[in-house]
Amino acid sequence: MSVIQGEKKKKVGVLLLLSMLGLLILLPFAVTTTFASGEEEAVAEEGDGEPKMGKDVFYKEEGQFGPISSRPAPELVYPDDYGTYGDYQSRTILWIANQQHLYFGSFVLAVPMFVWVMELIGILKYGKDPKEGKKFDDLAHEMMKISLTAYSVTAILGGILIFTFLALYPGFFGYLASIFRPVMHLYALLFILESGVLYVYYYGWDAFNDGNGDWKWTHLGLCTLLNAVGIVLMVMANTWVSFMMSPAGVDEAGHFLGDIWKVMHNPLMVPIVIHRILGNMSFGGGVVAAYAAFRFLSATNQAEKAHYDWMSYIASFMAVMFLIPLPFAGYWLMREIYGYRQQMGITLMGGLLAWVFIMQATMIATLFITVNYYLMQAMGRIPGSERYHGAFKFILAILVISTISWLTPHTLVMTPAELKAMGGAQHPIVGNYGVMSAKNTAINTMITTTVATFLIYQRSNFNLKVPWAWKGNIFLVCLFALAELNILFLGIYGYFIPANVRIGLSVPQVASTLTCLFVGSTINAKMLKGAEPIGEIRWGQMSRRGAYALFMLAVAFTWTMAVMGYLRSSVRLHWHVNEILRDNSPWAFTNPLGYAGNINSLNVLLFWTMLLFVFWLASLYATKSPLAREAEARGEVVAASH
Amino acid sequence: MIKIRNKTLFAQIMAIILAVPMLAWAGGGGATGFIDAGTFALVIEVGLALGAIILATVVKKMGMPLPKLVQAPILWAVCYIAFRVILQPPIPFSLLAMYMGVCTVCILLYCSLTTESWEEFSNPIAKMLRANSGGAKMSRYATFVILPGLIAFQTYDMMLPKFGEPIELRTVHPAPPASINTHKKVINLQTAENPFRIGDDGNYLKVGDESKYFGGNAWTGDVPVFLQKVQEGGQVFFGTAGCFFCHGDNLDGLGPFSFAFNPIPANFADSGTIAQLQESFVFWRVAKGGPDLSREAFPWASAMPPWEKHLTTPEIWKVIIFEYWHTGFFPRTWG
Repeated sequence: MSVIQGEKKKKVGVLLLLSMLGLLILLPFAVTTTFASGEEEAVAEEGDGEPKMGKDVFYKEEGQFGPISSRPAPELVYPDDYGTYGDYQSRTILWIANQQHLYFGSFVLAVPMFVWVMELIGILKYGKDPKEGKKFDDLAHEMMKISLTAYSVTAILGGILIFTFLALYPGFFGYLASIFRPVMHLYALLFILESGVLYVYYYGWDAFNDGNGDWKWTHLGLCTLLNAVGIVLMVMANTWVSFMMSPAGVDEAGHFLGDIWKVMHNPLMVPIVIHRILGNMSFGGGVVAAYAAFRFLSATNQAEKAHYDWMSYIASFMAVMFLIPLPFAGYWLMREIYGYRQQMGITLMGGLLAWVFIMQATMIATLFITVNYYLMQAMGRIPGSERYHGAFKFILAILVISTISWLTPHTLVMTPAELKAMGGAQHPIVGNYGVMSAKNTAINTMITTTVATFLIYQRSNFNLKVPWAWKGNIFLVCLFALAELNILFLGIYGYFIPANVRIGLSVPQVASTLTCLFVGSTINAKMLKGAEPIGEIRWGQMSRRGAYALFMLAVAFTWTMAVMGYLRSSVRLHWHVNEILRDNSPWAFTNPLGYAGNINSLNVLLFWTMLLFVFWLASLYATKSPLAREAEARGEVVAASH
Repeated sequence: MIKIRNKTLFAQIMAIILAVPMLAWAGGGGATGFIDAGTFALVIEVGLALGAIILATVVKKMGMPLPKLVQAPILWAVCYIAFRVILQPPIPFSLLAMYMGVCTVCILLYCSLTTESWEEFSNPIAKMLRANSGGAKMSRYATFVILPGLIAFQTYDMMLPKFGEPIELRTVHPAPPASINTHKKVINLQTAENPFRIGDDGNYLKVGDESKYFGGNAWTGDVPVFLQKVQEGGQVFFGTAGCFFCHGDNLDGLGPFSFAFNPIPANFADSGTIAQLQESFVFWRVAKGGPDLSREAFPWASAMPPWEKHLTTPEIWKVIIFEYWHTGFFPRTWG
């Protein structure tokens, strides 16, 4: 009886809680409506009382004109509109504050997405094998634990960022706030909602846990809500950034034309959002994998080692899953940038910032090589994988050749004497690798090779039992060989056709890669049905080099984010808001590569220092009290303190 | 006398024997101009790589596998020779350093792919560092004298004053302005199209469709409109403006005056120059030349004159048509 009553109370409590959250969701929309009605208030009026109209810098045709609804973009003057802290460059201080907030923000938005997947797998598995289901559920819980501490750090860094803006760039921030006024408030309110859902979700983990029953599904529903709010938050913040790159909804003088949606839905908003979501997911997976590697390396017993070995595999798998489509999303973003402003595209890829792209290429190649290396190390704990060891060096050779092609620059750094010896700015042989045809071929080859390594990893533990195994093997070999031939052929063919057709060739190249991924994985999975394991996977016996590779992977993600963030921001050159609000501070120049590299490295170092603290906190949380340890030594059972 | 153990080994030795005449043929071709120098270098590199793989397999099959610690420097040396010596014309040091950086990392990864290979690579080093034998001690002394010595020499060499011209991080393709003013007319570089892309039907000839005129002779009597414009552009290139003095008869940047300039003129026959640019970009460069390069094009190292002062707007567009036709490249478009 008391159990049923308790159950009822729990249900009522959850219903009340969900209603409260529902109201919280509605609150921002109510607030926006209020703000939106105020938006239409035109600032400038003509003689007859009609609002003065402005011409949109981006939107054409019927939506081209709108009522001028704000003051114009200000003519910023140094030092009146800029703040300083001694002799330090204000831009660098803001750069660091921004990057740190973005790192932690990306991490805390990505982790709940993984957690959602892990919890779902846990629920689905629970029916068949409760132990296996609990394993995934515990993994999700542990991931969330790391995220929770990081969430507080994100909020603190967000506060620091706002203060830095207000203190060092008050003129610019004032203008941005005048445009995004209602959205900024909505952002803050959604943040409250995000926090509310997060805390209920995390602290209610055990209270909602009834295996795979209604409570558990409700708990998963909370995670869905958490992710939905998180994505909306990220989209909103991205609209500010993309507005600075490609403004819309304002006229040439920077007047707001009364429609906030046009401002938000600027030309680069969608590709940036897609790219960021995928990037966040990869980054989040990489960081969780690094956490697991950290715990793996510091584990004191075999069970712990085995658990973190498994966790690192799951997290790195998620990271790789989102890493694979990332270059394609990046390619699309670049195409949109070229479409928006040719100058911007050339500045990025062929001009002033082309060398930063070489840094990025180096990091992307590092990511793919590291992933392959990790999988090879992980195969060291899989009985039966010895059969494939001979293939490793060939996989590595393909990756090296692709990397060399991928990072060959179009604009070479050389002395005048070297230039003369070479006979021109472009080398007759390696110069061919400096253009997109070669780059697309290289990246597609690297991705296809990574897929092949993963398939090898999947099957390395098994003796295939399906009667059509040999046919399947031939099919897989042909699939990969033909795909690679197609990628190579299209890459070479690209040199002989117009650029607009050449750009289109990337589609069949990507299609070849994705066919390998989806068809290859499906056939491989079918072939593994009923397969006989050669031996038990020796979780916890991965080489230490594998764990270090995971660190490398996560650091490479971090560095890539720093480089690409710098690149995206620098392409505005001397504009705060491209072609609308000019940067008149003394720091409106483009940084030398070395300085940018140093600040990016400093950012990476700062982030990892803080993150190691978060990792340490998470491990501290799991540490038993001295009393519990003593009791355990005496063989007594002690209730967990958390 | 090598004992041939099996057919595979025999086949591999035969492959090496057969590879020698192939390389000799390629070498002869390279020397006599039968194939170009670039292809020759590639053939040699591929031949070397294949030869190295086959040789390594043969040696392994003969029961004499090279330890990883020996393989690593050999591989490194092969890479260095390929990039430094075989690849011609020589690549700049910055690129060589990048390539060798990648190779060094990947050779280390290769040596640590499996636990066995890592132990094979690292155990001799660990032994050298820890063992008390005379040989190990000598190796230690040698290592700890040679390594710091090499680093010291490198540092000395870096600090030594150099007399060569310094490195220039030159932006070859700086971003163009949104529009330019030429002959009192504003030309929007984002949207401007060449007015002389005229097809047989008198309409605008889409980029790519001009391929049917490639390889034809524009200087015979009755030619289509497009080739007439090519011909007129050619007259500007070889006559009115004399572009060929710098950019060369074959548009390869090797005209008779080319080596008087530093950097030498652009090579249009290279896939990395006009093939990557919109016609409007090329128009901007021809019309405004070196003096109007944008700020980011530091150090503005271009002797290109501002041809708008000597040529009309149609002449500039026509010479651009000629350059693309002659090289067989298509201008970049975003349509």
